[in-house]
Amino acid sequence: MDASLSPKPEPRAGVYRWIDERLGLSEILAFARHKTVPDHQYSFWYYWGGISLFFFLVQVFSGVLLLVYYRAGSEAYDSVRQITYDIRFGWLIRSAHSWSANLMVLAVFVHMFSVYFMKAYRKPREFGWWSGLGLLGLTMVFGFSGYLLPMDDLAYFATKVGLQLPASIPFVGKVINDIVRGGPEVSAATIQRFFALHVVILPLLFVPLLAFHLWLVQRHGNALPPSEETKPAAERHSIPFFPDFFSKDLGMWLIALNVLAALASLYPWQLGPQADPLAPAPTGIHPEWYFMSQFQILKVFGRWFPGATGEFLGIGLFTAGLAIWALIPLFDPRTATGRRARWATWIGFIALTGLIVTTIWGYLDV
Amino acid sequence: MNYPSWDVPIIGSGWVIGIIAIFHVLISHFAVGGGFYLPMAEAKALREGRDDWMQVIRGHAKFFLILTGVFGAVSGVGIWFSIGLAQPEATSTLIHNFVFGWAIEWVFFLVELTAAAVYYYTWGRIPARTHIRIGWIYAISAWMSLVIINGILTFMLTPGGTWLSVAGTGQESQAFWQAFFNPTYWPSLVLRTLVTISLAGIFALFTAARIDGYAQPKLKREVLRWSAKWLIPSFVLTPAAFLWYLWSVPVSQRKLLDLGISTIGQGTFTQVTRAALVTIMISATIAALVYVLAYRNGSQFSSGWAWAILALALGATASTEQAREMLRKPYVIGEHMYSNGVRKSEIAQFNQRGYLSQSMWLRPEERTALQPESSPAGMVPAAALDDQRARLSSGELMFRGQCLSCHTANGYRPMTRLLQGRDRASIANLLKTLHENKEDSPYRVFMPPLVGTENEREALAEFLNWVVNGDNAGKGGALSAQRAAAKP
Repeated sequence: MDASLSPKPEPRAGVYRWIDERLGLSEILAFARHKTVPDHQYSFWYYWGGISLFFFLVQVFSGVLLLVYYRAGSEAYDSVRQITYDIRFGWLIRSAHSWSANLMVLAVFVHMFSVYFMKAYRKPREFGWWSGLGLLGLTMVFGFSGYLLPMDDLAYFATKVGLQLPASIPFVGKVINDIVRGGPEVSAATIQRFFALHVVILPLLFVPLLAFHLWLVQRHGNALPPSEETKPAAERHSIPFFPDFFSKDLGMWLIALNVLAALASLYPWQLGPQADPLAPAPTGIHPEWYFMSQFQILKVFGRWFPGATGEFLGIGLFTAGLAIWALIPLFDPRTATGRRARWATWIGFIALTGLIVTTIWGYLDV
Repeated sequence: MNYPSWDVPIIGSGWVIGIIAIFHVLISHFAVGGGFYLPMAEAKALREGRDDWMQVIRGHAKFFLILTGVFGAVSGVGIWFSIGLAQPEATSTLIHNFVFGWAIEWVFFLVELTAAAVYYYTWGRIPARTHIRIGWIYAISAWMSLVIINGILTFMLTPGGTWLSVAGTGQESQAFWQAFFNPTYWPSLVLRTLVTISLAGIFALFTAARIDGYAQPKLKREVLRWSAKWLIPSFVLTPAAFLWYLWSVPVSQRKLLDLGISTIGQGTFTQVTRAALVTIMISATIAALVYVLAYRNGSQFSSGWAWAILALALGATASTEQAREMLRKPYVIGEHMYSNGVRKSEIAQFNQRGYLSQSMWLRPEERTALQPESSPAGMVPAAALDDQRARLSSGELMFRGQCLSCHTANGYRPMTRLLQGRDRASIANLLKTLHENKEDSPYRVFMPPLVGTENEREALAEFLNWVVNGDNAGKGGALSAQRAAAKP
């Protein structure tokens, strides 16, 4: 029994009809009801793309509010101090922005691995996988550029440490760093550049790519995991996108909002002392958690192979891993389970374990 | 103060109690509410001749027995262990004051456990009416154990004037019933009973979610709808019960909430207000999700959603328990014992004779050096201050005795962050403010006064300076390990 149990809507009058006659709402609703979403034991993982989108919308909303009072450049710290301590509810907006940024990165990672293990990257969804990887990369750059903007001591030194990652790219690393920093050191000029990147360039890249990604999801629908694909059609179930899946999606958004609100209010984002480039770096300084794995790999290779060799090997390993990850749809193109599919699953487990282990290792090795 | 201190790195001893207690509260309240759910559901199934319902209820009874009998009981013992280690003075007071109360509670607990086992294992083997009666014996004994423990829990927030007037005289047992039926007893009992009923519904969603919605859509919808209704009393009556509870809390404690509400815009509002708001938000979310997903569209309700709603219930329990604990600040037993185990009546004595003077953990030479009479008033004995090791170990004892129950060096409420940017003199000034505990002190509403002689406070300042600005600042781990790793 696949049909929705929700009652069919009756013809409406008044405002709804007025809008419907002009915008064709009934057609959109009919289309949404016609569209179905698979229903099985792994359906939970379908919600993570929507959760990522929710946190992105929170980012946009809270980011615009912060933009009202934030002043990039030499006044950056003072303006964030003002937002945090003087502007009413400024602390909450800033805290929600910072927490939702971290939660968005987490949600995108969960979404990526769930897509991977459900093999939703296979034909015809290859472009969905690649655009998703692009969105993840942009999300991480969003996080990195936003982290510096308050210009407290933690932001300053963590950015300095974080810039070691692009600096280790052979030949062009130093040039990239100089362009990004706007000089030989992290300074007010760097804030200005990061700010432009954070609020103009990245959104200009992110929004069209997101639209393309969502269009692909709409075009191809939700992929079935291999265990469901092998079932006879009679044993597979699906539910209407509207209102059934849609209401559950909203439920997930509500839970995500709860998590965000609890974190933002119970553990408000702190503002440290103003950055002092001449002061020694605080103990145990490290980049944000989502860069920790790469940071640790570079650090360990630098320790094992001192000099340029370590950097080259570290960045080489990382680049090779990323290339394999991006090209996995071409390696595992079949729709049925097979040898390559099993290999791809093992690669996924190794990548996930490696990411978690090197991240924890990074925190223990500060 | 001669109990060993319990140094839990990162999370602190308070959170060990907190984590165990949150799980225990969730499961033990389910143990009470579920006790009512089972015989009522069984009676309904019997009345309506529904064998399919009966099978579902039997499955739920098994889940109930395992969860409450194993995790509920084990986490209860875990609370005893953890509070005994983290708050030995307060635990001692509770045991001595309520010996008879504990005995009654354990009798009910034994009846409860026995009835639960008999209820499950006699399913289908004895007449249905008798079986339902056993279910009711379980329900009443489980609720009675709540009735008893509620008196002891509420005593800690509001011991009441009668008990406080005899506290410390050795005559406390004469005020047993006044302490038991203290000012917050009745509103708390109503609140907790409402929570037990809603948790019965939430846990029942778990069992109902396992019914195959494609094979038995009608059964699944019916069980989910009936279970979802168990949340209604709680969501209708809790706001009124909560206001009644607040009205019964002393004005001094209510100030913490008022202060939080008035400063919410600046972000300086109190933790208790934040936690209370989080509870309200999560509770409303649970109501919305249960209505839309379980009540309205039950046939598609999956175990994943049951888990999500349970996780929200856990979050609501955690924030409520945190708010309740924070409302007691700066006391662990209202107006009697501060959160660091120092009794209000002992302050003058500690300030005059010294906090560490009777400590078993102080070396003889350190004790001699810290005695106020061994040096002119206000002077720090040269013998003690010349020896950094003596100063640090005395300061560490002060820290362990008066700070460690709420703070850690580098983890939860860490000294390294709270004292960040302060040098030794600035730390000593803060300690002076805490010691004087003046009426207008901003710390007074949630922190106990710092007790001890000037030499002892100097030793504490020395130790905190070492924690915050010393060679080992920022390193995690237990204090003893940090001290061992530090340069001599």
